Amino acid sequence: MNAPDRYERFVVPEGTKKVAYERDMKVMNAGAFTIQREDHTVGNVVRMQLHRDPNVLFAGYKLPHPLQYKIIVKVQTTSQSSPIQAYNLALSDLDKELEHLKRAFESEVAQRQTDYY
Amino acid sequence: MEASYQRFPTVRIRDLKDDFLKFELRDTDASIANALRRVIIAEVPTLAIDLVEIEANSSVLNDEFIAHRLGLIPLTSDKAMEMRYSRDCDECDGDGRCDYCSIEFTLSVKCTSEETLDVTSHDLQSSDSQVVPVDSIGHDPDIENFNQKKGILIVKLRKGQELKLRAIARKGIAKDHAKWSPAATVTFQYEPDIHINENLMETLSLEEKREWVDSSPTKVFEINPETQQVEVVDPEAYTYDDEVIKKAEAMGKPGLVEIYGKEDSFIFTVESTGAIKAAQMFLNAIEILRSKLDAVKLNFGSDEADEQFGDLGAHMRGGF
Repeated sequence: MNAPDRYERFVVPEGTKKVAYERDMKVMNAGAFTIQREDHTVGNVVRMQLHRDPNVLFAGYKLPHPLQYKIIVKVQTTSQSSPIQAYNLALSDLDKELEHLKRAFESEVAQRQTDYY
Repeated sequence: MEASYQRFPTVRIRDLKDDFLKFELRDTDASIANALRRVIIAEVPTLAIDLVEIEANSSVLNDEFIAHRLGLIPLTSDKAMEMRYSRDCDECDGDGRCDYCSIEFTLSVKCTSEETLDVTSHDLQSSDSQVVPVDSIGHDPDIENFNQKKGILIVKLRKGQELKLRAIARKGIAKDHAKWSPAATVTFQYEPDIHINENLMETLSLEEKREWVDSSPTKVFEINPETQQVEVVDPEAYTYDDEVIKKAEAMGKPGLVEIYGKEDSFIFTVESTGAIKAAQMFLNAIEILRSKLDAVKLNFGSDEADEQFGDLGAHMRGGF
């Protein structure tokens, strides 16, 4: 009766931004990214990649409520970098990693096919 | 200036069939392995019947029951990745029935003989020969399967009963409804690293060795009949229950074996329902994960960035 529609899990409504950033008022070089209509799939991956950056002092994500389909990624960096820089770097590194994985997998499959014939 | 903390994953395929794929994924993080697993199960798009218009139904099952069953029939979805979602389609004013975003099926069966008539997925006529119900024939030609040619059973009809309907199949993802999931099972396990302390093992008698080997619920260890030594016969059968470790402690020999899962080495098993080939499913998952991460990028240098950051805009945009 009160359950949200299933498509709410992935359809961003008109007028809402997919990603919003808020600087932390109390702490230097820290901020929180609110990502709409995403879940652990994206949150955990981004968080683990942020941990690899030595400039990142703190990185964490949470789902404030399982029925509200958004995640909050909180990042704090040293003064050498900024949360937005670290975030974008993490995303581009992940993109490169997935591209590498895709090529590795495709070449493995192609090799398998040639091994047959 | 550009530092990069990228990883370089490696893949080694162990088994590759149309609907089954087993491979080793190394040098990457568990979060990536899990994200791919989640995307394969819930976000790889396929086609499934989404709208059913029933013209005649005098069978024993009611209309919505049959509509539900039709939705669950897997359809060959190789063109699903290129198709548009009905809600995004401009061609048909959101009606969701045009050629670009949907496939039409018809079913028209009447039982005229004394015998019970099985209405199966073979009776569904598709408007597109590329999108048809997945055949339930197994891929092993050696198996004599009586049910081979029959397809997926929808409903059974008695003499005089009829079923006539039109169905529209659309693109969707399993996050919306599980009928759109292309995966049967997707699993990954950490590759186990097993070290037997040979010195401690020497202090056990053959009987004790046998007892210890048998304490494992799955066959991981074995006693070599020639050398009377305990050997690892199938490390991947280990399910990370600590039975052998507890048994070693109970026997007074703690540290007899050390087992831990390698943190960056995974063994993936991907099984498909037949809608999409297993290897293609995994590739689609990688693409979808990439596009999700791309959608989540924060574009600075845009108006909204300036709005949010004001004076600090220049600082945020990459100045040190």
